[in-house]
This record gives sequence, C-alpha cells and structure tokens, in this order.
Amino acid sequence: VQPPEKPLQAEEWNKLRENFQSPEIFEEVMLNSMIRCNSPIDVAKSLLTHLAKRNGDIAYNVLVKYLTLCVQQGQVSEIRDVYDIMKVRFKILESGAYNLLIKGLSKSDQWRMALTLLEEVKKMMIPSRTCYESCIKAASRHQEMKLAFELYDEMLAKDVVPTLDVLQSFFDFSRGMKDAELQKELFGILLYLRENQIYPHKTFMRSIKLWFESIPGGKWSGHLTNIKDSGQCPVCNHQLEDSNLTEEEYSNLSEKIIRDVIHGTDTFRKTSPQEFEAFQTFVENRLPFDIVIDGLNVSHIKPRKMQCENLFDAVNCLAKENARLLVLGRKHMLINSSNWKREIMKEMQNKADFFFAENISEDDAFLLYATLRSGNHCKFVTRDFLRDHKACLPDSLTRHLFRKWQRGHQIAFSPSAEGRSFSSVFSQQPAFRYDCVVQTTGDTWHIPYKDVFEEKYSYQVPRKWLCIQQK
Amino acid sequence: MQSANMLLRKIVRSSVLPFAAQHGMKKDLFLLSRTLSLSLCLKQDKSCEPSGKLDLDEWKKVMKSGLQEGVSEVVSEPKEPSSLAAARETLEMWRLAGRAVPENISEEQLKTFMECPSKSAKKKYLKYLHLKELHKKNDKRKMHEKRERKLEAQDQASKTDETKKSSFICMWSSTMDKAYNWRAAQSMIFGQPLVFDMSYEKEMSVREVTNTVRQISLSESCNRRSVDPFHIHFCNFKDDSLYHREFIKQYREAWDKLLITVTDQCYTEIFPKDKLIYLTADSPKVMKTFDHDKIYIVGSMVDKSIKTGVSLARAKRLGLETAALPLDKYLLWSTGAKNLTLDQVMHILLTLKDTADWKKALEFVPKRKYCGFVNKPVKELKKTLDLINTLKLGKGRENVQKQLAKSYPKK
Repeated sequence: VQPPEKPLQAEEWNKLRENFQSPEIFEEVMLNSMIRCNSPIDVAKSLLTHLAKRNGDIAYNVLVKYLTLCVQQGQVSEIRDVYDIMKVRFKILESGAYNLLIKGLSKSDQWRMALTLLEEVKKMMIPSRTCYESCIKAASRHQEMKLAFELYDEMLAKDVVPTLDVLQSFFDFSRGMKDAELQKELFGILLYLRENQIYPHKTFMRSIKLWFESIPGGKWSGHLTNIKDSGQCPVCNHQLEDSNLTEEEYSNLSEKIIRDVIHGTDTFRKTSPQEFEAFQTFVENRLPFDIVIDGLNVSHIKPRKMQCENLFDAVNCLAKENARLLVLGRKHMLINSSNWKREIMKEMQNKADFFFAENISEDDAFLLYATLRSGNHCKFVTRDFLRDHKACLPDSLTRHLFRKWQRGHQIAFSPSAEGRSFSSVFSQQPAFRYDCVVQTTGDTWHIPYKDVFEEKYSYQVPRKWLCIQQK
Repeated sequence: MQSANMLLRKIVRSSVLPFAAQHGMKKDLFLLSRTLSLSLCLKQDKSCEPSGKLDLDEWKKVMKSGLQEGVSEVVSEPKEPSSLAAARETLEMWRLAGRAVPENISEEQLKTFMECPSKSAKKKYLKYLHLKELHKKNDKRKMHEKRERKLEAQDQASKTDETKKSSFICMWSSTMDKAYNWRAAQSMIFGQPLVFDMSYEKEMSVREVTNTVRQISLSESCNRRSVDPFHIHFCNFKDDSLYHREFIKQYREAWDKLLITVTDQCYTEIFPKDKLIYLTADSPKVMKTFDHDKIYIVGSMVDKSIKTGVSLARAKRLGLETAALPLDKYLLWSTGAKNLTLDQVMHILLTLKDTADWKKALEFVPKRKYCGFVNKPVKELKKTLDLINTLKLGKGRENVQKQLAKSYPKK
C-alpha cells in the first residue's frame, strides 16, 4: 500500500481500510509502508488518532511502529511523548521499544535520558549492543569520554561485542585531547583489536592515524606502507613480531589439539586408540620432520594428472636441502590401481617417510599432531583450510592461536600454468614470517588494515599497514 | 468491537451514561466505560473544533485518558516468585509487540525459558512453544468441527431412520489389536531380532530425546502392523533414564505390555558378534542385500546438529561390522542429510525383509531428498552429468538436474 501524503480524516481512513484485503492488519501494514517511505509524521498521527477514536486504545505494536517512524526522523518531542504514554500504559516495555527510545534520544540534546533508560533496561535484561552503542556514541559526542569508556567496559564485561563503528567513534571524538588516562584507554582499544585479531578498515585506520597525530606534544607521525616479506617495516625499519608462537602458547595449542581435535568426545570418531598409538610411536621414532604433507590433498591438485604423479611432483619439489618429509596417506594408496602406481609409490618412499592410516580414519588430525610434535620450525602442506578442526577447539582464544599458527606454518600449493620444470608446476604460497596483528613497541605502532570496508575472508590477512612512530 | 462501538455511540448520544453514572451503574458498565468516557470527551472536542480540521495529537489525549481506568483494571495475579513474574511480563510485552510467543505458558516452561543460555535459544524455545500452541488450537478447532458434523449426520440418520444390514461383522480396532499382538508375540519367539541401541542419551538434547522416542514409537507401531514383524530389542536401556521417562510419557500404561524386549545389556552380550551389523550413514560399507540371518542395529539417536561419526565410533569400538543404506547407488540425491528418521529406516527394513526390492524399500526416503530412482549406478550418471555440465558451461547445475529428474522420474 502507498501511504497517503497528507493527514486523513477518519472517514477517509475507514474507506482505505475497507478497500484493503485484510482489514485487521491494515494499520500495521500502513505504518510499515510509512516507515519505508519515510512519510511525514503527521500522516501517521492522523492514523493513530483515527485508531484511538475507533477503538479507544492503541495496540503496543502499533505504538512501536510509530516510534520507529519518529526515531527515523529524529522527532525528539514525539519520542518523549510516546515514551510517557507507554510508561503509564504498560508496566514494562520490551527490548525493541527500548532500543528505539535509546537510539532516538541519544541523538538529541536529551541524550542523558537515554542513559537513564539504559539503566532501566539493565534491571531486566542484558541491553543489546545497539543500546550500548547509541549511549557510548552520545557520551563521546558530548566529550564525556570517561562515561563512554565506563559504558564500553561494562559492555565488554557482559560479553556484548562492540562494532568497529563504536571503536572508531572513540578515536574520532578524542582527537586533540590531552589526557593521559584517555590515552591509556585508547591504547586499550588497540590492544583489544590485537587480542581478537580484528583488522580495522580504511576509514577506521584513518581515524586512528589522525588521533595519534593530534595528540598535543605527542610527536606521533603515521605512514601507510606495505611490509616486506622479511617482516621489516620500510618506514621505520622496525622488525615486526615473529609469527612463531611462544613456548607456552605452543604447548598450550598442541595439548588442546590432541585433546579436543584428535580425541574429542570419542577417540573412535576420528581414528582408533590402537592406530593413534601406532602413529605416535611412528612419529616419536622419526622426529623431527621439517615438512608434513597431506598426501591425499596434494594428490588432487591437478585433476588431469594421475594422483600419485601429483604427489610425486610435490615430494620432489619439497625434498630439497635434506628436508625431512613426512607424507600422510591412507592404506588404499598402497593398492596398485589406475591412480596409484606401485613403482612410483616405492620411489617416493625412498625420499620421504610415509604413514598410512586406515581408510576410514581422518588423516588431517594426524597431520596436525605430527607437525606440532616436530616443533616450531615444522611446516605442513595442504590446501585444506582446516576449518572443521579449528571448530573443535573449545574457546576463541585457542582458535586464534590455531589460526596464527596456521598462518605461520601452512604451505598451500596451487597449480600454476602448464610447465615441465618443477619450479613452475606449483606455485607455493609461503607461510608468513611475521605476525599479522596490531602490535606496539611503545614508541611505534604497527596496525594492519583492510583496504576496503567490506569483510575479507577470514583466512586472508591484510597486506597493508599503518606505521606510527614517535619522534 | 466496531459494532460494540457503534452501539456505544448510540448510547452516548441518547445520553444514558450520565444517568448510569449518577446511579452508580458505572461498575456494571465497567468494560465499556473506558470507551464510553472517551467517546464523550471526543464528542466535546469535536464540537469545539471547526469540522474538517484534524487534531493530530488527539490520540495522546485518548491514550492518557484511558489510563486512570487502566490502572484500576490491574487484577492481582496468583503469586509467583518475582523473577518468574517478571519473565512472564516480558513475554507478554513480546507478544504484544508481535513476536512469536505463546499466549499461555506454564511455570515449568517458564523455568525452561529462563534457563536457556542465550537470547537466540530463548527465541527459539518461545517459537517452538508458540507453534505448538497453534497446532493444538487448530486440532481442537478441527475436532470441534468434526463433532458437529457427526452430530448433524446423526440427526439426519435418525430422521431417515434406516437400519443398515451388513453381511460383514464389524471389525473393531480391539480385534485388530489382538491380531497384531498375536503376530508380535510370535515374532518374539521366532522373529528376526532388530536392535535399537539406546546409548546415545548423552549425545542429545532433551528435545532430541523426545523426538527419538516419538520416532521409535512410530517404528514400533509400523512393525506391529506388518505381516512379519521384527523382534524388537531395546539394548543398553537404563531404567529411569531420560529415554525411559519419555517412553512412559508416550505409552503410559501400555509401556509394560509392549511386545518387545527391553534390556540394559549390550547387544554384544546377547548376540554373537559376527551376526551383528550396525547400520550407520557414516559406514564406508554399503549394504547390498538384506540378510535374514543377521541382526541389524539401529542407533536411537536424533542428530539435529549433524555429529558425524558418533555411531560409527560406537561400532568401531566394539569391532562390529557396519553398513550404510545404498542411497547413493539407487537414488540421485539432491538435498538433505543421508541420515534418515528411525521410522523411515524401520519401513525400509520391513519392506526389504518382505520383498527384497530396493526400489520399493527406498520409496520411504522422503521425496524432497532425491531427484529420482536410477537403475544404473549413479557414478556413471554423474560422469555424464559432469560432461553435460562442462559442455553447457555457464548454465547452472540445477538445469541439468532438472533434466535428469525428467528422464528418471520419481515413480
């Protein structure tokens, strides 16, 4: 339905209603389309008046819809009126109405009322993220940074995850302020980005840069740059953090992978205890490896080629400089077939160690185990993203560790253009040597950022950096 | 409501109200009073305004004026702990806001609701209750209609008053039940065993267990009605487990009279290991024929979150043979998981047992899950399908699937 352009008389509304196919939901549909078309508020008012006259009451959901329209147009006095009416008419309100009220009021000069409303919400439930965000933005817009940070801390304490937008607003509104306490809080946000491996987008990055440069007497200057493969920043020549995990992180991760990924709720789901034990002794006897290869994954790189040939190419390509290789496969690879030629398999077994799991076992779990046991220098080869294994890990902290470790240790092959020589058969995506995360040394900050506003794939890492240094 | 209002307006116009108010009749007119007083004041408003001009804030006055009575309207509710009462109020507001929330909610349900760990879990639970309520209402309505139709029919029959004579003896359902039970009893002596493995309680949520029990009772009933029933065993069945409680809810007194074997022993203790075959969709082995000498095991598990390999792990641990139904071999699969409901599996096994006809048996796989039945191995078909796909690069896969479905119709 098309909402009318001017306020209508009761008779006119009645007429419209009668012509509508299902009159009982006429008001809702009409208000919805008013919200969509952003109709003048007077039109909605006339509809409400008509409703009130006819029924002597206005249903809650209709009021909420009207409230939506008011918030959309920033009609503060109307919002207040609706709130007054709702407050006396209903004992409590539900989250939708609160969200709207807080959002509407926080943008006006009566933003403090939004704060009292937030308190009211807290009595009943955990306020939604939008509630917090409106209030935080309102407070920081009015330069009440302390209050804003209190709300922010409270939000984090309640496990409500803030959006980048709110984080950005902190930087935007603190520009040019000289306040040690505030500075500490903002550094805290940067560390929050680091901890959760969040990358700011370009506009957010700019806010950060501007804030740093605006600190009175701070003498910060920021530059956009690309980090070299060696991990050195071309602007300040600072070496970025190593991608290797600390010893503690490393042992923590390998322990959790053995416990949650390989064993899980039932060792039999991915392997069997006998098999896992056999694998363990096999690995312990031959440690350490330099590269662990997922044989079946690699063998499918070029679909036109025989599977064992693909694997053969990969092994040859990696078997340089006395690297110790371990290839993981399944028992069916040993049976002479059109895809797995016995002679080629034999030849490969001279160049690398092989372990063949049962056909129904999961070889990925073994891949992780062998690589982790070999130590921090060991890399693994697979095109698999290992998402299902990451999902088995219990908490997000371990999952982040896993991803960091994966970034630093996974080599992904991809088939390149046709070529005879080995070097061009595979193009190798190297594991990163430096860690792609917000980092600081005190007088420098390095912040990776996304070039575009849109989300990138979770496995991709940004290549662009913001380098900030203090002179 | 509208007609009531019209009536009211008439009353107002004939000015009964002041009369009623004077004589203390307001209480009797209580329900109507709010509208009444409103209409009165509206009338006054209108009279002092030039007609044709709208007072846009008039609704506010109405809402506020309705208040005084609104407050007095509050009925003291039966006392509940304050947290529960607060939750009830929130729910009421959600319902008013048009969310999927049940109208009536019991205290037990309210507690379950409050124990939900997250907002989305709460929402889901409420939606489930809401839909349940709707179904119940619909059923009630239908039953009512049916009863009325029946009464009408009876009326007509009594009018015509004809006594029907039939050469058949009326077969009452109790007679049928006797016949079925006789057969089931026979199966308990001579029938081929079929095992339901009841050891998955830990893997499931409460609702999944409820669904499992429902599916098992459906399987049991279709087994009972079949020509040659299985001898059903519930193995690893713990007394007073969640399964047990749900079964009692489902069957009530009939639970103790069921012609099945219930035991807390494992199937490996009852039957020779080499005769057991564990049916699981994760099995690498595909079932070729139905073997009348084997004992098939079905895991009593509803697995909504697709926990791969749970039942396969169980079979591996006990060193049992496993098998999967040859769904891929005979059906051109389109969507959905390969795990079937327990009653579907039961139907399939019963049909296989009677006819050994895969096509007939796999009719019980839900039609939405596959495009068609094939006689050639699907692998070969896939090759041609891929070929067609590469030839028609750019055209969607669905197109080809549709064509294939045409050439291999469902029936």
